[in-house]
Amino acid sequence: MSIEVSGGRRGLTDPEIAATILAAIPDQPLETQRKMNYFVTPRGRRLNEYEVLCCYTQPTPDWIPGGLDWGDWTQKFHGGRPSWSNESTELHSTDWHKHRDPAFRWHALYVKDKAEEWRYTDRFLKAYSADGHVRSIDPVWRDEVLGDYLGAFGFSEYGLFNSHSSVVRDCLGDTLRMSSAMIGLDKVDNAQMIQAERTFLAKLVPGFDESTDVPKNEWTKGSIYKGARETVEEIWQGTYDWNEILFSGHMVYDPLFGQFVRREFFLRLSAYYGDNLTPFFINQMQLYHSQTKGITTDMFHTCLADDPEFGDYNKRLLRAWSDKWLPRTVNALKDFMGIFAKIPEIKGVTSKDAIEAALERVFDDWQRDYADPIGYKVDTSALIKTVLSGLK
Amino acid sequence: MAISTATKAATDALAVNRAPVSVGAQEVHRWLQSFTWDFDKNRTKYSTKYKMANDTKEQFKLIAKEYARMESVKDERQFGSLQDVLTRVDAANRVHPKWNESMKVISNFLEVGEYNAIAATGMLWDSATAPEQKNGYLGQVMDEIRHTNQCGYINYYFAKQGQDAAGHNDARRTRAIGPLWKGMKRVFSDGFISGDAVECSINLQLVGEACFTNPLIVAVTEWASANGDEMTPTVFLSIETDELRHMANGYQTVVSIANDEAASKYLNTDLNNAFWTQQKYFTPVLGMMFEYGSHFKVEPWVKTWNRWVYEDWGGIWIGRLGKYGVESPASLRDAKKDAYWAHHDLFLLAYALWPTGFFRLTLPTAEEAEWYEANYPGWYDMYGKVYEEWRARGCEDPSSGFLPLQWFAENNHPIYIDRVSQVPFCPSYSKGASTLRVLEYNGKKHSFSDQWGERMWLSEPERYECQNIFEQYEGRELSEVIAEGHGLRSDGKTLISQPHTNKDGKLWTLDDIKKIGCVFADPLKAL
Repeated sequence: MSIEVSGGRRGLTDPEIAATILAAIPDQPLETQRKMNYFVTPRGRRLNEYEVLCCYTQPTPDWIPGGLDWGDWTQKFHGGRPSWSNESTELHSTDWHKHRDPAFRWHALYVKDKAEEWRYTDRFLKAYSADGHVRSIDPVWRDEVLGDYLGAFGFSEYGLFNSHSSVVRDCLGDTLRMSSAMIGLDKVDNAQMIQAERTFLAKLVPGFDESTDVPKNEWTKGSIYKGARETVEEIWQGTYDWNEILFSGHMVYDPLFGQFVRREFFLRLSAYYGDNLTPFFINQMQLYHSQTKGITTDMFHTCLADDPEFGDYNKRLLRAWSDKWLPRTVNALKDFMGIFAKIPEIKGVTSKDAIEAALERVFDDWQRDYADPIGYKVDTSALIKTVLSGLK
Repeated sequence: MAISTATKAATDALAVNRAPVSVGAQEVHRWLQSFTWDFDKNRTKYSTKYKMANDTKEQFKLIAKEYARMESVKDERQFGSLQDVLTRVDAANRVHPKWNESMKVISNFLEVGEYNAIAATGMLWDSATAPEQKNGYLGQVMDEIRHTNQCGYINYYFAKQGQDAAGHNDARRTRAIGPLWKGMKRVFSDGFISGDAVECSINLQLVGEACFTNPLIVAVTEWASANGDEMTPTVFLSIETDELRHMANGYQTVVSIANDEAASKYLNTDLNNAFWTQQKYFTPVLGMMFEYGSHFKVEPWVKTWNRWVYEDWGGIWIGRLGKYGVESPASLRDAKKDAYWAHHDLFLLAYALWPTGFFRLTLPTAEEAEWYEANYPGWYDMYGKVYEEWRARGCEDPSSGFLPLQWFAENNHPIYIDRVSQVPFCPSYSKGASTLRVLEYNGKKHSFSDQWGERMWLSEPERYECQNIFEQYEGRELSEVIAEGHGLRSDGKTLISQPHTNKDGKLWTLDDIKKIGCVFADPLKAL
């Protein structure tokens, strides 16, 4: 038969072509090692699909630790700066390919989860609206807190989202890059969910303003988010070291400021103001926070702080970065205390003792999960006292 | 607590209508452009001579969750096909062996492009100022992760299910040995991520994706299917559905700089450089993979090239951008010459260097030689008779002690590497447009094969300093290089690469190579 085939003939189904193909195929497979990436050190007992599909996709030369390639870059930036370089971060590693997402999510698994969350969000909102839940929300909470201050918090999430752009460009490993993009996408998802909630409320409550004008004004000019905005701006655009961006955002600012605002303010208080809509969205954000925490603690604790050669050095640097970013974050929380003067007080819920208890939960969690593993000494009582001084 | 007017209105509205209400993606997306704010340090970390407009919109208006829903639906179809029906019919063992080998290269090299595009679009996300434009690039960041995983899945599938896992199972480690790798890195890695952000966008989106993904991701599926491979069309056509978004991103990049003065000064030069960069590698490599890596042929590569590159891209796509001052690249006419012969020139060299590959190559059969001669008159006199000579000298047989590389030395046809594209060429035995140019800089000699690359180097030599394989391996014996690069099968002695796909043919071992005593030399030192 002719070797040129036309008309879309398919080798799998065309009997004539299939016969030629089958005749050429070896009687026995030529290779017994069928495991792709068999040379990769698995994180668990066996190499999993995530490690097969993600590990060593980056063609890094061996002078960047962990790389399998050799030689120089074939094209560099104008002036000769290399495509990727060890100088892009102050931290050191013996293997920049070591990181693993603890959930082993490659793209298909990541989008599958988020797609389910979107479908469920749609179903939830329909049920919520049909059930008339919106009638129970306290008007001040709804119009001022959700309309303005939750809206303004969306800018914090959006700014943190953008801080991942240069990380995705500059970081030195494939699993790092994929994880960074995913936790970045989760942040813009948070910002979008906040806007989705406000748009939803505008559909149900005549006169509710879904526009971003007032929240943006609050974020850029108001006092409550002033410290947060300045910190986010510095993380996003003032910081060039890709590890420092991730560390400042996900190991200091978000576990303290983000956790307090999401978990201890919006999530904890919403029920007291008749709001069972906000927890639906915040709980998704908390899921993302939890997944991100797994990722970033793997990056900074499992891989870098415990690096066999550079662990001590890295821990010293991480402590120095904590010294740099903790005061800004504490200041952001102090400014945020002003919000309690804007809402109707509920004794034991929004009073000082309850706020202090909430701060203790957040700082205790941070100390245990973030500070202790790198040997960072912190007086949380003093920090809480500073934050509380922001109460009006 | 007094009930607010708004609450009363909401209550009244519910009394009239309790129809379920939700929020659509577009209702959220329409606010996206207002998500950013101005502040002192708000500028990109990656300098560009162009200024992207603050109000640039995106064409695919997605929010994060809607993006996930769309991609998840596509994944379900794709992985469902692969894991269900294709596995049950043992599809991986019904692929022609030549094509099985080609997919070791095509899938892995495309994976590199997709992977580097994650970083490239991260840079563009940083560089853009408009939130919608950032969002478009973000969507592409996620797509590129998807495509990286999908390409990996092809190799994973072939390794697990197919007839020859070697090369599929360790391409990420062994790909760096051979002569095709560095050139691939230029177009698919560094060309996307190292330079002016807009220049990188032009390389990635305006040329790489709008031009060469059509033959690489779409046309390849016809060749795959003809040769029994239904896995590749299943995956690659799913990839291509995302490429539309990427082409739109490239288009919007041009729109965003259209009113910038720098665009009128630099855009066409950057486009010409990007086109030449991409075509210099893809034109010969794709043609070689299609024609020499298949048994059943769909059409001559030159026809595919003319349709997708010359007419569709150079004519229609670039024509659409004409209103923004974009012109067809000046180098397009030289590329058209390459489309005819360059892949034949490259296969001659690739076959000569076969031990450094991570795949098996096959000499053209008699019926293939007829096909080549019919479609490329003059093919036999230049190439066909050389392959006959090599075959007669036993190049496929390990006991022959003959490597085709020796033929080049015996006939005084030195092989050089173009410093800018990193593509090998043999100026004294070539029908393509390559000509040897040698320049010296800082005490080091550099070879070039065309005026366009030479011009790029002359403007900015510091960007193109990468050593080539002959400089890297100089003085080293071939079997040492192969062993060091992990070019062996799991028995520890048989080469992954082979010079044939004959099921009854003997396989070469490291010892067979060692006996020949082939030592690398840098041809530039002889000048």
